[in-house]
Amino acid sequence: MGKIIAVHSYKGGTGKTLLSVNLAATFAKQGKKVCLFDLDFRAPSLFTVLKVEKADCWLNDYLNGTCGIEKVLIDLSNKAQNKGGLYIGLANPSTEAIRDMSSKDRKWEMRALGRILALRNSLLGDKSFDYLILDTSPGLQYSSINAIVSADIVLVATTFDRSDVNGTKLMLRELYDLFEKKTEIVLNKVFDAPLKTGKDMQTKLKDIYQAPILGIIPCFCDVLKAEGNIIFAQEKPEHPFSKLLDEMASRINTV
Amino acid sequence: MSNQEILGRKPVQILEKIKENLEKLNEKMEVMIELQKHGRNEMQPLPDAPLDVMTLLSMPDHLRKTAMTVCRLGRATAEEVSEQTHRARAVESAYLNQLVTMGHMQKERNGRKAYFYVERETKKEET
Repeated sequence: MGKIIAVHSYKGGTGKTLLSVNLAATFAKQGKKVCLFDLDFRAPSLFTVLKVEKADCWLNDYLNGTCGIEKVLIDLSNKAQNKGGLYIGLANPSTEAIRDMSSKDRKWEMRALGRILALRNSLLGDKSFDYLILDTSPGLQYSSINAIVSADIVLVATTFDRSDVNGTKLMLRELYDLFEKKTEIVLNKVFDAPLKTGKDMQTKLKDIYQAPILGIIPCFCDVLKAEGNIIFAQEKPEHPFSKLLDEMASRINTV
Repeated sequence: MSNQEILGRKPVQILEKIKENLEKLNEKMEVMIELQKHGRNEMQPLPDAPLDVMTLLSMPDHLRKTAMTVCRLGRATAEEVSEQTHRARAVESAYLNQLVTMGHMQKERNGRKAYFYVERETKKEET
């Protein structure tokens, strides 16, 4: 059976969506059948990044129990030049939907957890997806923790910002460890980071976070300049950023 | 009909009944042992206790592990939970019953087997 990956962070702006989209595209390029879900209901962004603005059903509807998951899935396999399959599920970006999702009670969140847990059977089992990637909102939001509880692996996107380092360390101890989750750190926007990280740096980072480091992504001007308009893993496969994603995806395949 | 006659006619049924009662007694004793081990406070039944992620976070580690396993399996016996957690079946049985008492889980008997699950959909909302 496939794996569920939750992409999470302590702070916003660490590159979760960039990482999620490019990782999904990388897996699809490698021939995997991938599904990418936007679980950031307070600030949906996947629809903009992937330039898909309409959906028959949103993930909000699935979690509300008003439609099945197959109606949420949007097939982007043809759009992407890949060997596998790439499907997405979007969060409703309307103000009304965001307001509605912000006012859910504990019972609704409990049912939402059940529906996210059920994706293992419906998507990884029945529909044979290799990976389900859940792009979450930062911090301790209900939807994010639901995703973490349902995931096999949690990718923690972080930067060297001091408050982010401290917050990430706290979450490692008081969130991911409590749920006994396999976590992998992805350090993003690292200034002057070498493309090939030496063992010394890996050891130093492992000491800081007490968790495995999946990858260190330097601060690429090209990526910043693209302003979210380019999916590097698809459109610029030879770019160093795409190459780093290839390495990370290969490592996840072996986890 | 004398007791001896009854014993002569239905020894297997009687032994099965004794075994069943002993199992029930054993389950209750396991819960009592767990009560003493972890204190009574965490076993107070709650009138409205949805098993959401914040509740899971605030649970003691030993109960969270059991609750998480049931969440993952959907519906499970103590034996099935113990296979996942690598803890003794009797221990899992006690933890599961504790979660039922706390109002976080439901228990359903099917013959000799007791199944534990989280009731997520209320009947009222389904209709």
